[in-house]
Amino acid sequence: MHNVLMILRREYLERVTKKSFWIGTAVFPLLMVVLTTLPMMLVGLGGNDQKTIALVDATDKLYDPLVKELSDKKLKDGTPRYAIEKVPLAGTLESTEQSLEPRARNGKLFGILTVAKDIDAKDAFTFYGKTVGDIRSTEEIQSALRRAAIELRFANANIAADKGVVDKLLAPVDMETREISKEGGSTKKNFLTAYFGTFAFVMVLFMTLLLYGIAMMRGILEEKTSRVMEVLLGSVSPQELMTGKILGIGLVGLTQVGIYAVTAGVLRVYMGAKMSGTDMGGILSTFTLTKLAFFLIFFLLGYFMYVALFACVGAVCNSEQEAQNYQAPITWCLMLPMIATIFFVGQPDSTISVVVSLIPIFTPMVMFMRICVQMPPAWQIALSIVLTTAFTWLVFRGAAKIFRIGILMYGKRPTIPEIMRWARS
Amino acid sequence: MDAAISLRGVVKAFDDFRAVDGITLDIPQGEIFGLLGPNGAGKSTTIRMIMDIIRPDTGTISVLGKPSTENVRHHVGYLPEERGLYKKMKVLDVLSFQGSLTGATPAAARVEAKGWLEKLEIADWADKKVEELSKGMQQKIQFAAAVLGNPPILILDEPFSGMDPVNQNLFKDRILELNRKGTTIVFSTHQMETAERLCKEIALINKGQLVLSGPLAKVKEGFGRNSVLLEYEGDGAFLSALPGVARIDGYGSYSEIRLETGADPQAILRAVAGRLKVTKFEIVAPTLHNIFIEKVGATNVGVLERVGDA
Repeated sequence: MHNVLMILRREYLERVTKKSFWIGTAVFPLLMVVLTTLPMMLVGLGGNDQKTIALVDATDKLYDPLVKELSDKKLKDGTPRYAIEKVPLAGTLESTEQSLEPRARNGKLFGILTVAKDIDAKDAFTFYGKTVGDIRSTEEIQSALRRAAIELRFANANIAADKGVVDKLLAPVDMETREISKEGGSTKKNFLTAYFGTFAFVMVLFMTLLLYGIAMMRGILEEKTSRVMEVLLGSVSPQELMTGKILGIGLVGLTQVGIYAVTAGVLRVYMGAKMSGTDMGGILSTFTLTKLAFFLIFFLLGYFMYVALFACVGAVCNSEQEAQNYQAPITWCLMLPMIATIFFVGQPDSTISVVVSLIPIFTPMVMFMRICVQMPPAWQIALSIVLTTAFTWLVFRGAAKIFRIGILMYGKRPTIPEIMRWARS
Repeated sequence: MDAAISLRGVVKAFDDFRAVDGITLDIPQGEIFGLLGPNGAGKSTTIRMIMDIIRPDTGTISVLGKPSTENVRHHVGYLPEERGLYKKMKVLDVLSFQGSLTGATPAAARVEAKGWLEKLEIADWADKKVEELSKGMQQKIQFAAAVLGNPPILILDEPFSGMDPVNQNLFKDRILELNRKGTTIVFSTHQMETAERLCKEIALINKGQLVLSGPLAKVKEGFGRNSVLLEYEGDGAFLSALPGVARIDGYGSYSEIRLETGADPQAILRAVAGRLKVTKFEIVAPTLHNIFIEKVGATNVGVLERVGDA
């Protein structure tokens, strides 16, 4: 017991006092925020040049409404973002458009918009541009065009409709989704907040399990290659060594998760009120104490199961390259539920979700996802915990034996059947 | 219990290769015991089994009367042949950690570690990282790691390899000092001269089998005083062709001549008298070096000779 504590102490102190631990802890959430918001920000960034659009309008009625609709789109310096150049029809629409193409090619024109005589016909509106990938601009133009065209349709149908009426008629119909909770009443929740709220947690679970599993494996490989292992085994038994390492690295993981939990809690208290109603507020409100408690339970279950598996990989391999092969199936078991998050969040009580969440190797990830979205029946949670604990116990027993035999094997790498034989011996 | 360590019919095979093939051996308490043998003889495997790092296929091992499987590690300090220290840790931290594994509290282990750093004349390096040290320095740290906690038995696998003469001496003095205080020292080596000077009792292993064991003096006696040490000036090439010479271990101006049974040393003296300028002629028991070569070189390994009784 003393030796286990001493091994634990060294593992914990060596890892927690490293700068890389703190940098990693700080960078990981930042990275997640950046990765999710950066693409949106980049799309919204837009150029800072006025874009000229040539309008070839066979109806000859859309120029004024279109200019009016686009007039509120301004650049930073206040000049309009779009300049519309009215080009008279010369011959057909196509030939007029073709005569303008050289100007588009050399960049003088952002695009050419053609409008057929009959605006109700299919393909009545066409936009030719050099960079149709500028989603923001094409979307702004399209929405302006839509309003302008609808006004024209009203006029054509002899319905007097000014902008105010059109706006009213075009107002979106939103449906708010509220989840009926067990305690009675309902909470405002939609798929997106459910998805992101769950995803954030699952991501942290996935990353920490993978990170610490691999840290365990690396640690053992390093001790093997530097021959520290033999010195250690001169002082402690393989079981003591394995237990000490698993607990020590686990404690590092808990420290990190604890830092995240406290941060999320603080964020919720200080920013929850300010942001309530927004999507971010919705996501923050999903960080409840119950969820944190379940997170802790499934983190621990998953941690012991996966770290023992990774320990076996470390024990039977001689280098990280070798370990890649053995590590892959374990990593996949962690990754598959991640990839399928959208399914489990969407259908948390489907038969597939229930069955998968009861398979020990998937339980920590999948059962936790289900809990996040919709509380499963208590017996299912209890059963999953019992099954996973039993499975982890078996893995541990096997791992201790594999550890003992594999740890001093240098040279020849054992085959999977050999490893299984060790585990049972 | 008389023996510090005793092995009974110990066998360990790796796949088809029998690394240790039925060794029965008693290592007496309080002695300096030499576990000798050529490279690959099974010395390190035997030691690893004593440490319960690997387990024998058959046979039993006991340490201070207790089966080795009952966690006897804390009675035994171990310096493995392949040195291994956490490279990124500071010297004092490594030693404190190793010391704490002998049952001491981290604080107490730190104090003891400091003491050993001073005894081994490396106290100035306490705050350096292990990777910054030279090989010889690391060896000292490793030695300190083995002796921390003052174990009653100390197993040293090739302790002198890669050390300069000054440090070899320092090590030797520390080992002798520990032995005087009652520590049983087991050391494994293929350097016969060191073994001959240090060990009171030896066991010679070859191809996983015990070839020879017993107190060094009796082992040598068993070979009889039938060797001649000859120092000379001149060309000694003819020596090996002399009648009565079984084998010769020549170094140019120094030769150890092993005589055939019943051959007369005086006949050798007479034969060389006219042809070489003899500066030294001595009738001795063979050196351990020559016993080693004779036994290991012999083809019929497996014939156990137990010489004398401990």
